[in-house]
Amino acid sequence: MRPWSLLLVALVALPLIVGVAGLPRHDAPDAPIHTHVGTRYLERGVAETGFKNMVTAVLLNYRGFDTFVEVVVIFTALAAVLALPRGETADPDHAPGQRAPADDATGAPEPGDDAVATAAVPATSGPRDGSDAGRAHEVVPVSPVVLFVVRILAPFLSMFALAMLFRGHITPGGGFQAAAVFGAVFIALGLVFGLGRVARLMPTGLQPWLQAAGPLAFVFVAWFGWRLTGFFLGFPIDDHTTQEGMGFVLEVAIGVGGGVILARLFLSMEA
Amino acid sequence: MLLFGLDLDYVAAIVLFCVGLYMLVAKSNLLKKLLGLNVMETAVFAFIVTAGMIEGGDPPIMVQGTSAPFASPIPHAMVLTGIVVAVSVTAVALALIVQIHAHYGTIEVDELKELP
Amino acid sequence: MSDVFDAVMLALLIATAVTVARARDLLAAVVIFSMYSLTLCLVWQHRGAPDVAMTEAAVGAGVTSVLFLITIARTTRQEKP
Repeated sequence: MRPWSLLLVALVALPLIVGVAGLPRHDAPDAPIHTHVGTRYLERGVAETGFKNMVTAVLLNYRGFDTFVEVVVIFTALAAVLALPRGETADPDHAPGQRAPADDATGAPEPGDDAVATAAVPATSGPRDGSDAGRAHEVVPVSPVVLFVVRILAPFLSMFALAMLFRGHITPGGGFQAAAVFGAVFIALGLVFGLGRVARLMPTGLQPWLQAAGPLAFVFVAWFGWRLTGFFLGFPIDDHTTQEGMGFVLEVAIGVGGGVILARLFLSMEA
Repeated sequence: MLLFGLDLDYVAAIVLFCVGLYMLVAKSNLLKKLLGLNVMETAVFAFIVTAGMIEGGDPPIMVQGTSAPFASPIPHAMVLTGIVVAVSVTAVALALIVQIHAHYGTIEVDELKELP
Repeated sequence: MSDVFDAVMLALLIATAVTVARARDLLAAVVIFSMYSLTLCLVWQHRGAPDVAMTEAAVGAGVTSVLFLITIARTTRQEKP
């Protein structure tokens, strides 16, 4: 326990608690958060946007610019991770640990090694680990229970993600939830079946376009909205069909784009 | 929730924020610092969503099962954006930590400070 | 009754956060962090935020924890005191 850090934390905590003491009770009906623009969104939201899920309406319609910038943020994060040098490109003169010899590749998941599902569990993976040199790199085969469960659940999870995507405007769900579940399904399959099999799920020619699908779709829909209403990313208020169509395009782009980005993040860190 | 002069839900969020801040500042391991950053981020999200609650409130989705009063949808939208930003920051930081370890062999800040 | 649920969940949140801070084994810290994420998801579901709960469940326990585990596999597992 470092004393200066505890002092800093106490110095931060005290004004926060004093400030919070002045706030109204958190579920008071007359708190300012419920009496300003929030009530307008709730009362006139369905009539103006045609969505029943108010959170999706706020995300895509009322606060569309925030979502636009946010898909650019996650795309930039992927670009940053891909811009870093790949793998162990450290200078051998500087790395203090010894690298395990290259023929010790008993555990590395080779592409095409899909006869037996002995994908190495990440906790003991790979002979690339320079710091634990000298330790035997054992491969822990994946338990048949995990194999069975992931095999059975993966199609249902994908269907659930698609359902959340398509029904995001009338039930809890939407673009990001579907993207997170797509990414999680890809990661589960990749951990269990090895990277070789799972990397074939991602079409390499189409991949850059899928990753950029979020920002591109937002620009397209914003241009379309400008042609319709004269405002950038403007949704025509009384035309529910067009609004649902634009919202649908945006949600599919966020879902697919986000899912591909998460899957690519996993692939770039594991490989 | 209960009210001993302070709203306990808000105080819990502040306590979590402070636990995360302590991990970020006091720990020497880079992974621990990143875990502390994540705890701080989720504490802020918890605070924001709690501020949008209303008494007896239903989720802000207009279907047959829900009725007024509704929880405010604006904090939910902000927190969804925030979660995506948190994932992005975590992914970039983890990639950088892997590179630091590959280059210098250590991820402890105390040891990294001693390097020439 | 829902007050008791709230109080128990908040106490569990704080306990797991403190345990993440104190764990020396980084693998244990990440596993407890994913438990913290799941508890937070339950708290949000109780507060009437199902969208946020779904996203936090999928992201916290699914994506973030796995990325942390991959990093631990490629760096070290123990934190030096």
